[in-house]
Amino acid sequence: MSFLDTLFGKRERSSDIARDRLLTVLVHDRVKLTPDMMEQLKAELSAVIARYVPSVDAGAIEVTLLRGEAVDHLKADIPLRRTPQKL
Amino acid sequence: MSRVITITSGKGGVGKTTSTANLGTALAIQGLKVAVVDADIGLRNLDVVMGLENRIVYDLVDVVEGRCRLRQALIKDKHFPDLCLLPAAQTRDKDAVTADDMIALTNQLRAEFDYVLIDSPAGIEAGFRNAIAGADEVLIVTTPEVAAVRDADRIIGLVEAFEKGHPRLIINRLKPRMVNRGEMMSIDDVLQILAIDLIGVVPDDEQIVTSTNRGEVAVLDRSSRAGRAFAEIARRLAGEDVPITVFDDNPGLLNRIFGAFGIRARGSER
Repeated sequence: MSFLDTLFGKRERSSDIARDRLLTVLVHDRVKLTPDMMEQLKAELSAVIARYVPSVDAGAIEVTLLRGEAVDHLKADIPLRRTPQKL
Repeated sequence: MSRVITITSGKGGVGKTTSTANLGTALAIQGLKVAVVDADIGLRNLDVVMGLENRIVYDLVDVVEGRCRLRQALIKDKHFPDLCLLPAAQTRDKDAVTADDMIALTNQLRAEFDYVLIDSPAGIEAGFRNAIAGADEVLIVTTPEVAAVRDADRIIGLVEAFEKGHPRLIINRLKPRMVNRGEMMSIDDVLQILAIDLIGVVPDDEQIVTSTNRGEVAVLDRSSRAGRAFAEIARRLAGEDVPITVFDDNPGLLNRIFGAFGIRARGSER
């Protein structure tokens, strides 16, 4: 995608869409995790983390499955909101 | 020591048979004795890809069921006498042979050939299991598409479960220009997802269609980019250290000028 496409907000590269869809599909193939269970996992994960870290951005949690040499990794990316510090 | 290598994919139509025919021929060009075996019982194809369909008398099931000797069923290639095809039966189904039959058959072939390449049927059922039963190594063919890579992932798991070691990957029908435009998954995308070793990349090449129409394999055609990619893969299979070339589908001006003089610059190395 060219710089101009990015500037005018053109469509996402279809190769990136393909890769992301594959990663999602493989999570379910390998771990036998349904989309429902995945959503539940994210919700429970954010609930647990929120108990310790109140700034967790529950809606932005990303759970992905990566294939390693010997084992696969279920990787959770948990963004935390930056709140201005009070004096 | 002879080697038995099964070419498989999970998904159909990604180029298993074309890969088997081309790799077999490329190994024969190197002076090796090669048998290619069509293990897709009931859907015989390897014979037509190699242009040997009119020479078939006996087939794999005839050998297994003792109606002929192995030598009677082997068909010599048109160009290389040390390259032989063992065709699949067309009128039977996959239940006509067992995994033990395939192991016995491959052991018989080992005595005569340096390389035995087995063209596996698509799928993950008995036909696929029979095709890998006698194998020492497995090559997996995929295209850079979601469905093909998904099936390849499944097959890799099964090959490892059957203790056939770590399979190696052929990425077939890559279109470098589409990859550059972000319209096709790249080699790195596919490798990152599948996490297996790459043995080669074959570009999409219309000449595969025309050579298959004629019953000739692409490695015999020096102008075919896919053919040159298969020749490189065969050298890697034989243990040579050849860097992976991605043959571009759009020869630049320089290549076109050199091409006019019969010199061909290579594609970009990965």
